[in-house]
Amino acid sequence: MIRLNKVSKTYRTDKVETLAVKEIDLHVQKGEFVAMMGPSGCGKSTLLNLIGLLDRPGEGSIEVEGIPITRYRDKQVARLRNSTFGFIFQSFHLIPDLRVIDNVELPLLYRSMPAGERRRLAREALEKVGLGARMDHFPNQLSGGQQQRVAIARAIVGQPQVLLADEPTGNLDSKMGAEVMDILLGLNAEGTTVVMVTHDEHEARRTSRIVRVFDGQLVA
Amino acid sequence: MLRNYLLTAGAVFMRRKLFTAINLVCIVLTLVVLMVVTSLLETAFRPSGVEGKSARFLQIVMMRMDSPGGHRVSTTPLGYKLIEKYLKPMPGVERVAAATLPSGVAVYQGERVSEMQMRRVDADYWKILDFTLLAGRLPTSSDDAAGRMIAVLNATTAKRLFPGAPALAVGQRIDVSGQQFEVVGVVEDAMHVNAFADIWAPISTFASSDYRTQMSGMFTALILAASPADLPRIQRQVEGIAKAIVQDDPKQWQSTRFWADSKLDLVARMTTGSNESLDSGAGKLLAAVVAAMLVFMLLPALNLVNLNTGRIMERRVEIGVRKAFGATSSQLAIQLVVENVLLCLAGGLLALAATAGVLAWLEHIQLINYMRYDLNLAVFGWGMLIATVFGLVSGVLPAWKMSRLDPVHALKGAI
Repeated sequence: MIRLNKVSKTYRTDKVETLAVKEIDLHVQKGEFVAMMGPSGCGKSTLLNLIGLLDRPGEGSIEVEGIPITRYRDKQVARLRNSTFGFIFQSFHLIPDLRVIDNVELPLLYRSMPAGERRRLAREALEKVGLGARMDHFPNQLSGGQQQRVAIARAIVGQPQVLLADEPTGNLDSKMGAEVMDILLGLNAEGTTVVMVTHDEHEARRTSRIVRVFDGQLVA
Repeated sequence: MLRNYLLTAGAVFMRRKLFTAINLVCIVLTLVVLMVVTSLLETAFRPSGVEGKSARFLQIVMMRMDSPGGHRVSTTPLGYKLIEKYLKPMPGVERVAAATLPSGVAVYQGERVSEMQMRRVDADYWKILDFTLLAGRLPTSSDDAAGRMIAVLNATTAKRLFPGAPALAVGQRIDVSGQQFEVVGVVEDAMHVNAFADIWAPISTFASSDYRTQMSGMFTALILAASPADLPRIQRQVEGIAKAIVQDDPKQWQSTRFWADSKLDLVARMTTGSNESLDSGAGKLLAAVVAAMLVFMLLPALNLVNLNTGRIMERRVEIGVRKAFGATSSQLAIQLVVENVLLCLAGGLLALAATAGVLAWLEHIQLINYMRYDLNLAVFGWGMLIATVFGLVSGVLPAWKMSRLDPVHALKGAI
């Protein structure tokens, strides 16, 4: 599904050069649930951003369904992100000014789709995460767990093949975290590929594969 | 998509009330100035009111005479003889009128002396300009021919000299610089270039008939065409007539030039001093006005650029999220510009209301006598256009800059 070939990424500031990811080879197969683990600053999030095409590698190449995207222009990458990936962030990153339903609709705005169809899909996504009754609320009227479920609804509304979750339970208590984890496992069971960054060993063990990152490299 | 833009824009504006208020004040002040200027220009140049036919008339206000060798130049209004002999017989025009420029006269009423502006005009003048008659009648060609000592007053003058309804002035007599006139009509006040005066009387009421023999003097000519399409032809015709004119003393003034101008051309010719050719310099004048308006918009626009950058910076996480879910830089730039244009259009509506107030105030204090300010649909359209341009000018740069944010950095809340 997604293949990283000898991918490296270096961040440069005026004085400092940081090698965040070093010559990583990784293949995420269709239908997998991959947990990425490692200490803080080891490059997990950078790797997730590279997989999700939010960032471009300094060296190496990335293939999505066998197609190298190295020469893709920004517009093509944006289209691919929209059709293939759904993102879930640790801090939810819901837009506070928009109602829940409008937040969930967001990925569909960048597809040519009638407004009614967008609304129907957003409603279905919210119902799937158990928030059908909260559509007209604003994010600040919801609990942390509910906000993360809205974020999941937003991530799945476009029926992406891959869900990328960066510590999705990191800001939640254990009960809410477990609920979110159950939803992700359910989505994976339905065929969605999931790549998740986590610090939680227990959560990681519930996935199909654990990838460990240390100092920007994969370790066995 | 647009609904989402509107929702987001509305929510952002309401969340940042102080910012929105500062932005709106900035926009409203700028737009009020621009819209008052636009309204003045509209009033001055658009065919309206007494000059409702201005789209199809031309005026000749000044002529230039050059001595042999070009050592001496004289610029002067036309003489009545020139209008009567060369312009009135012109073929292919509907009507040619002669009128003096307004001049100061003293009106005596017993002990009271009032200073007024008076024009002497022929009967064609009343047929080219669309004065609104409030009482009595307008002078005719038979009044001209008979040299009847009659006068028309505007409403303000009629009220000043004969308090009460306009009809009360009709039939009254006034003493204008020693000449007795009978008031035969009262018209609405009018400020337009060719109409402005307090009192009008037939040309034939001059104390002396010397005007009939003068090639230069104190007259202007108004030429009415059957259609606006005829104006360029008439302008060339007039240019040719001027060249063919032989002055009474050709040794003193060898060549004569004058141009039949539209209202805009006339102002442009006076402003730019373009006295050499048919080209009045109106294009240059318009370009200068547009440039001045853009420069005037530039400073507040720069201020808004700063404010907008700050406002959009606060939304960098949102920008990151939108990018993550597939928004392209251009889609984001359009969204941010649309938000800014919406704010500016809201400012435009407020500015429109404020402009109406300012214009009413200007009319009330009579900064310029008889000036009427119209806040019509054209001004509304111009106002909204200006607001849109303002929104674009102040929104494009920050929107473009912020739309190019790297999504990873944006999601971290960094630049």
